[in-house]
Amino acid sequence: MKFDHPIFQRLRAGCLTVVVLLMLGCLLRPLEAPTWQQVQSGQPEFNLAGLEGALGQGILVSTLGGFRAIMADFLWIQANTVWEKRERAKFDSMLRLVTTIDPRPLFFWIHSARMIAYDVPHWRIREEGGYRAVPDSRQAEIDREQAEQAFALIRRALEFHPDHPHLYLEIGQIYLNRLDDPEQAAPWFLRASEQANAPYYAARIYAELLRRQGKNPQALEYLQGLYHRLPDHDPRAQKMIILERIRELEELLGVKGESQFKPQLMPDTKFIH
Amino acid sequence: MAESAISIRNVTKDFPVGISGKKLRAVDGLVLEVRDNEIFGLLGPNGSGKSTTIKIVLGLLEPSHGECAIFGKPSRSVAARQRVGFLPESPYFYRYLSGRELVSYYARLCGVNKDKLDAAVDSVIELVGMQEAAHRRVGTYSKGMLQRIGLAQAIVHDPRLIILDEPTAGVDPLGAAAIADIVRELKARGKTILLSSHLLAQIEGLCDRVAILHRGKLVREGRIDELVTDPEADCLVVEGLDPAGHAAVQQVIEAKGGRLLRIEKPRLSLDAFFLKEVHQREREHAVVSADQEDYP
Amino acid sequence: MSFQSPRRIRLIAGNTFLEAVRQRFFNSVLLIALALIASSTFFQQFDFGSSELKFIADFGFGALFFFGSILAITVTTQLFFNEMENRTALTMLAKPVHKFDFLAGKLLGVQLLMLAFTSLLSLVLLGILFWRETGLMGQMGPDAFSEGRMVRYMDILTFGFLQWLKFGLLSAVTLFVASFSNTNIYTIIVSFCILVVCQLQYIAREAYADMAPGPARLLVQGLGLIFPNFQLFNVGDQLLLTSQEGLPAVTVLQISLYACVYIVAFLLLAHLSFRRREI
Repeated sequence: MKFDHPIFQRLRAGCLTVVVLLMLGCLLRPLEAPTWQQVQSGQPEFNLAGLEGALGQGILVSTLGGFRAIMADFLWIQANTVWEKRERAKFDSMLRLVTTIDPRPLFFWIHSARMIAYDVPHWRIREEGGYRAVPDSRQAEIDREQAEQAFALIRRALEFHPDHPHLYLEIGQIYLNRLDDPEQAAPWFLRASEQANAPYYAARIYAELLRRQGKNPQALEYLQGLYHRLPDHDPRAQKMIILERIRELEELLGVKGESQFKPQLMPDTKFIH
Repeated sequence: MAESAISIRNVTKDFPVGISGKKLRAVDGLVLEVRDNEIFGLLGPNGSGKSTTIKIVLGLLEPSHGECAIFGKPSRSVAARQRVGFLPESPYFYRYLSGRELVSYYARLCGVNKDKLDAAVDSVIELVGMQEAAHRRVGTYSKGMLQRIGLAQAIVHDPRLIILDEPTAGVDPLGAAAIADIVRELKARGKTILLSSHLLAQIEGLCDRVAILHRGKLVREGRIDELVTDPEADCLVVEGLDPAGHAAVQQVIEAKGGRLLRIEKPRLSLDAFFLKEVHQREREHAVVSADQEDYP
Repeated sequence: MSFQSPRRIRLIAGNTFLEAVRQRFFNSVLLIALALIASSTFFQQFDFGSSELKFIADFGFGALFFFGSILAITVTTQLFFNEMENRTALTMLAKPVHKFDFLAGKLLGVQLLMLAFTSLLSLVLLGILFWRETGLMGQMGPDAFSEGRMVRYMDILTFGFLQWLKFGLLSAVTLFVASFSNTNIYTIIVSFCILVVCQLQYIAREAYADMAPGPARLLVQGLGLIFPNFQLFNVGDQLLLTSQEGLPAVTVLQISLYACVYIVAFLLLAHLSFRRREI
C-alpha cells in the first residue's frame, strides 16, 4: 500500500488528532472533574422522565444544551398566557414542565403553588356553574383538592430547597387562607420560623394561630421565649407588638404582679434556635 | 564566484488530484540559477509552472523532489525570507488601510526597526511615485497604483532578492514603463530581481537573462541577446540610399561572399512608439500649462 | 516560532481586529444582541417582582451565549478564508512570518473582537439589571430587599470573562477545522456541530458510568474525553444572586486554566495541520 496516498494521509491526520485530544482529555481530567463537580452541585439533577411529554417541542436539546434557565423562563411566560386563557390541563402540565426544567428558582414553585391553590379552584367553580350554583360542600371539596395538589408541588420543591422558609410559609398560608384550618396551618408557620433567614412574622403568626385555637398558655410561653430571641435594634422584629400580645395574654390568663413577664434589654442576638 | 541568489536543483512538484491518488506534475526536474544582482525573467505560457516555481522559491510550497536555496539558505526556512521581497500577481491588500499604513504594517512584520520605519516607508513610497496617494485608503486605488504600492511593500525592508509575479499585468504601458524604471533602479542599488511574465515585449527591454518554461520543464535559458539574435546574419541600418545605392551595396555583399536576404524599414516596437508619442504630448502639455499660468 | 514571534503575532492580531470590526456581520450581530438585551425590560409588564431580575439576567446570558457563539465561529472562519481567497495570506507568508505567527495572530485578533463584544454586552446587561433593581427596590419596599441588593454585579463580570474564554476555545476549534478545510461553509457547519457536541458531552460522561463494560462504554467514555466540556462555563445562574452560594474563586481559576490549555492545544493542532497546507 502506498503510504502517501491522500486517503491514508487524511486517515493518519484524523487518528493523530483523536489520539492527541484523548490524551489531553485524560491529562485534564484531574483538573476538570472536581471543577465539574463544583459546577454541577449548583445545578440540580436533570429529570429526563419529567420532560418526556415535551420532547417533541425541541425543548430537550435546548435544555440539555445549556439554555435551561432561559427555556424555563420562556415557558413560564407561556404558562402565564395559558393562565389568562384558563386552559387548566395545559396550565397544569406547563407548571410541572417549568419546575422540572429548572427547579432552582423558588419563584416558579411558589407562584405555581399559589395559582394551583387560589386561582384554579375559582376556575373550576366557574366551570361548574359559579359560586351561587355550586354548593358550599362542593366548593370546599374543590378547595381541598387543589390545596393538596399545591402541597404536592411544594413537597417536590422541598426536595430541592429543604431549608427555605417561604415554602413552609406557603403551605401554612394555604391551610390558613384557603382552607381556613389554623390547626393544620400552625405547625407549618412554626417550621418556617425555625429556618435560617425566616421572616419575623412567621413566628408571630404561629403564636396568633395558637391563640385562635384557644391554646393561650402555649401562646404566652412561646411569645415570652420569642421576645428574648428577637434582636432589639431590628424594627422588623417588632418587639413592641410581641410585648403587647404578651400583656394581652397575661390579662386573659390572669397573670399578675411578679409572675408577669419582665422584658429585659439583651444584646442583639441572631434570630436562630 | 558570488553566491547565487536563487539555486534550484532538480526540483519536481506534483499536486494530488482528488483522492484517487493521481498526480499533476507542475514542475519537472527544474535546474536554474539566478545570479546575484541580475534581472532574471521567468517566461512561459499559462500553466507552465512559473507561479509554482516562485512559490517553491518562497517556501510556500514544498517540492516533491529536489532542493531550492536563497543565498545558500534552504528556501523552506523562514530565515531565508528575511532578505526576500515579493509582489504577488494581481495583488489584493487590506482595503481599509492607507497606502502608508499598509507599507508600514508589512515593514514591521519584516522586522524594520521603529526608529527607521518612517524613513524606510517614505523612501519606498517616493521610489514608486505614490507620495500623493499614500494617505488614501488602498480601496480607492487603481490597478496601477495597487501594483506600485505592492512594489513598495515588497522592498520596504531593503531585501536583497525581489520576486515580482506578473508585475505589469493589467497595467497600461505608461505604468509598465514606470515599473520597469523602478526595477532598473533596484538593480542599480545592487538588488537581484526575479520577475515572471507572459508580456514578452516588456520583459525584453528589462531582463539580463531569461528562462522559458513549458509544461513544467525548462526549455531555454540564457541572455536575451544570445537567445533572440541570429548568429549567422548581420543587420545594417542605413540612411539616404536610393534603389541604385541598394543594388550597389548588394553587389559588394555578394562580392565578399555574403547574401543580401532582405531590405526592410527599421521598426520601433509598438511599446516604444507609444511611449515616445505619449511622452512628447506630455512635454507639450506641460509647456502650454506653464504658459497659461504665466499669462492667464 | 522565533523570538520576534510575539511582536508579529501582536501586529497580525491588531490588523485582524481592525478588519473584523469593519465587518457588517459583526456590527449587525452586535446591534441585535444589544437590542435583545435591552428588550428584556419588557419583563416589567409581567410584574414578577424581584424575580424579574432573574428573567433579565437569563435573557442576557442567553443572548451572550447565542450570539457570541455565532460570532466566534463565523468571524474566525471569515477572517481566515478572506486571507486565503484574497491571497493576502500569500503576501504575508512570503515574508519572514511563521505559519504559527499567522494563526496565533488571527486567533488573538478574534479574541480581541470577542472581548469587545462580551464586555459591551455584559456592561449593558449590568446597567439594565442595576436600573431595574433600583426601580424594584423603590417599588417593593425594604422588606423585599432586606439583605441589600440581590444581584452580584462583580460576579456577572466574572461570568462574562468565562464566556469570553469559552468563545476563545470555540474560535480555536474553528481555526483548527479551517486549517484543513477548503470552504467556509464546511468549516462553519463542522464547528457548529462540535459546539453542540461540546455542550452535550457531559451526558455521555454521565451515561457511561451506568453502562456495562464493552465497546459502547469505551466509545461513550472516549467522546467524553475528546470533546471539551462547555457546560463548565455555564455558571451564570450560580453567580447571579447574593442568595446563592456563588462560585469559589479557585473554581473560576480552574475553569480559566481548562480553557487556556484547550485553546493552546487546538492552536497547536491547527498549526500542525496548516503547516502542510499549500497556499
